[in-house]
Amino acid sequence: MANAASGMAVHDECKLKFLELKAKRTHRFIIYMIEEKLKQVIVEKVGEPSLTYEDFMASLPADECRYAIYDFDFVTEENCQKSKIFFIAWSPDTSRVRSKMIYASSKDRFKRELDGIQVELQATDPTEMGLDVIKGRAN
Amino acid sequence: MYGGDEVSAIVIDLGSHTCKAGYAGEDAPKAVFPSVVGSIEQQEVVNGTKFEKESESMSDLKGGLKGLDSEKAKTKRKLYVGSQALGFRRDHMEVISPFQDGVVADWDIVDNIWAHAFKDRLLIDPMEHPMLLAEPTSNAPQQRERMAEILFENYKVPALFVAKNAVLTSFASGRATSLVVDSGGGSTTVAPVQDGYVLQKGVATSPIGGEFLTECMMKSLESKGIIFKPRYSFKRKEARPGDFQTIDLDFPNTTERYKLYSQRLIASDIKECVCRAPDTPYDESAYANIPMTPYELPDGQIIEIGADRFKIPDILFNPSLVQTIPGMENFIDSSPVRGLPQMVIESINKCDVDIRRELFSSILLSGGTASMQQLKERLEKDLMEESPQAARVKVLASGNATERRFSVWIGGSILASLGSFQQMWFSKGEYEEHGASYIQRKCP
Repeated sequence: MANAASGMAVHDECKLKFLELKAKRTHRFIIYMIEEKLKQVIVEKVGEPSLTYEDFMASLPADECRYAIYDFDFVTEENCQKSKIFFIAWSPDTSRVRSKMIYASSKDRFKRELDGIQVELQATDPTEMGLDVIKGRAN
Repeated sequence: MYGGDEVSAIVIDLGSHTCKAGYAGEDAPKAVFPSVVGSIEQQEVVNGTKFEKESESMSDLKGGLKGLDSEKAKTKRKLYVGSQALGFRRDHMEVISPFQDGVVADWDIVDNIWAHAFKDRLLIDPMEHPMLLAEPTSNAPQQRERMAEILFENYKVPALFVAKNAVLTSFASGRATSLVVDSGGGSTTVAPVQDGYVLQKGVATSPIGGEFLTECMMKSLESKGIIFKPRYSFKRKEARPGDFQTIDLDFPNTTERYKLYSQRLIASDIKECVCRAPDTPYDESAYANIPMTPYELPDGQIIEIGADRFKIPDILFNPSLVQTIPGMENFIDSSPVRGLPQMVIESINKCDVDIRRELFSSILLSGGTASMQQLKERLEKDLMEESPQAARVKVLASGNATERRFSVWIGGSILASLGSFQQMWFSKGEYEEHGASYIQRKCP
């Protein structure tokens, strides 16, 4: 357990949706939020497999923190179809300190619940999680 | 706002220069006061004979302070804590700090500082409130156990948590992984944090902090013939509107250390008012003709500060500059000190290759000295020049001055106020069952 962890619990649905994304590939992305009153991380939104990265970016609030999972499909230089599961900690600079603190101190525990994350990113403005960054990290 | 099952915890960040204390959930600490205290050795003599013994007590004092053990100290000295008590000059009052080389050396003083925070400033009963304490990034296990013992035994606190400075700063900026550059009063610490853990092997410290810069500022101005008159050593009267008269007062029993402390207060204010990190490395000839900035000393003297405005902050980047300041020449010889950009790069290079990129792009500034104007821009620029090509350098500091100065405290304040955090405390029951060493498990 990390020093100064928040003790936030994780709702079962978070794992369920993640497993669906990983095994059945029924979602393109999942967005999680922390419900402070429930002391839990819950699923806020799931995205259809047909949605694009732009749709995903648009689903993240501009000035609130979130956690997100994105299933990224790409073609390697050898023309091989591949996919990687990204974990993104979205913590925009413009969000409130309180929200930044809650998300950062709950992240370690939450991430451990999701087994199968391949790449992890922390982003504080849209450029830090642009499509170019994702492509760069996928290879 | 009182939120149901949330208990109102107390958050304390005892820095080497200032102690920050307040209620969890608030935006800023309620009490901010110096971490140094005034101390007067008590003589066990009756009033009549006290006067004759005075010269003797002075020599006692100097010898006594060095080899002081806390048991003896408790019975023999009286401590004055807080800016008000310290601001009032008293005969034979020394100024002492609980810290030595960044760690607590005298727990009796810390005990007094806590007592002052609880009873005089926050007006709370420590038995009723859980305490969250911020600790220096490289605090030894024995230090935290001692802290737990005092709080549970002497103050009977119901629960306790100890969080590392760097982790709190990192979390408060929304990052679980970052490089925290904490430039405070007594020292500067660079600490890499990954997923909420401090990577101890990458931690770098240097003794150059705000107090050191203040000392340089004072020495440099004194060498130019400026005399700092401590605030207590004169009276100012307005004889006619707009016309002030300064009358010098003489207090022969003031200790040298108290005089120095009062002079440093002035120098520190000068530093905070006029200093600015230069955009490029300081160069004596280039700054020879810059316009002077006026500053009015408490006794009404108006002094002009020129190149020192830029030279003093540049010491953070280039410690060898110290050699050009009269009276400070010997500093470098005793210990090799690196500048801020070198510390950052060395620290990052000691970490795993995989996270270096991430660290370069999230360098966080915290602490009072890091609030210096233009420091962020300068550090970013220096790092761009020295970092590997592929790395994207980003230095971050909260735009809000309070948030920057108190980032550690604010992080602790939010954490301790979370409903979900209430299960994380190291409780009195657990202390009684497992002992003080259990704190290493509860607050890793």
